[in-house]
Amino acid sequence: MNVIVAILIAAALLGLNAWLYVANKNTPVPEGCESLKPDCAGCGITDCAVRIRQNDREENE
Amino acid sequence: MNLLTLFLSALLINNVILSKFIGMCPFMGVSTKLSSAVGMGVAVIFVIFGASVLSWALYYYCLVPLGLEYMKLICFILLIAAFVQFVEMFIKKNSPSLYKSLGIYLPLITTNCAVLYVALDNISQGYNFIETLVNSIAVPAGFMLVLVIFATIRERLAGSDTPEAWKGNPIAFVVAAIMAIAFSAFAGLV
Repeated sequence: MNVIVAILIAAALLGLNAWLYVANKNTPVPEGCESLKPDCAGCGITDCAVRIRQNDREENE
Repeated sequence: MNLLTLFLSALLINNVILSKFIGMCPFMGVSTKLSSAVGMGVAVIFVIFGASVLSWALYYYCLVPLGLEYMKLICFILLIAAFVQFVEMFIKKNSPSLYKSLGIYLPLITTNCAVLYVALDNISQGYNFIETLVNSIAVPAGFMLVLVIFATIRERLAGSDTPEAWKGNPIAFVVAAIMAIAFSAFAGLV
């Protein structure tokens, strides 16, 4: 019984996570923040999602 | 435990970066510019405080009554990830100005191990709700304090005459080590 409850809790949290991820992605970026550029020059983390997205955008342009 | 002692201890003596070596990735990565360090620091305070309080509530009001204490790690990871998504969405909808200053840093914080550390530490130390609130403010405040000090030093280092072999990360690590030694002197404070 305990195992089932544990699985249910984990599944609920996973579902919440997935739902919030999709909802966040579908939420429009506020006006004036569309071209918000991260200051990647001031950051040494090379494999973060923000930098990868920024690099992709620059390559497409 | 005295709340002031707990606050000073988490802020200075047991500093999350210089004493526990947690959150080293943003510490080394986002400390080359003061403006980035301040943005990251504020976002970390915001996320750690919220995530820790929620994790504490989840543990004591859901996992403990059901006898599922062993689930805390996976539950906290999922809760932190969900909380960051929620905060980003909330800020996008309700506060464009806040999104302008913090929005960039929020996705980075999901992978900051200091967030999980504070959530787990509150449980393993057996803190009550008030102590959890104090610890959840003091730890990220200590993170921001060290990050900002380190960023100001690195900005000055960038313009200084450092030997070629020491430029960049090597001299930054030396500075971090000296800062850790300096902060260890706070141990006599409490």
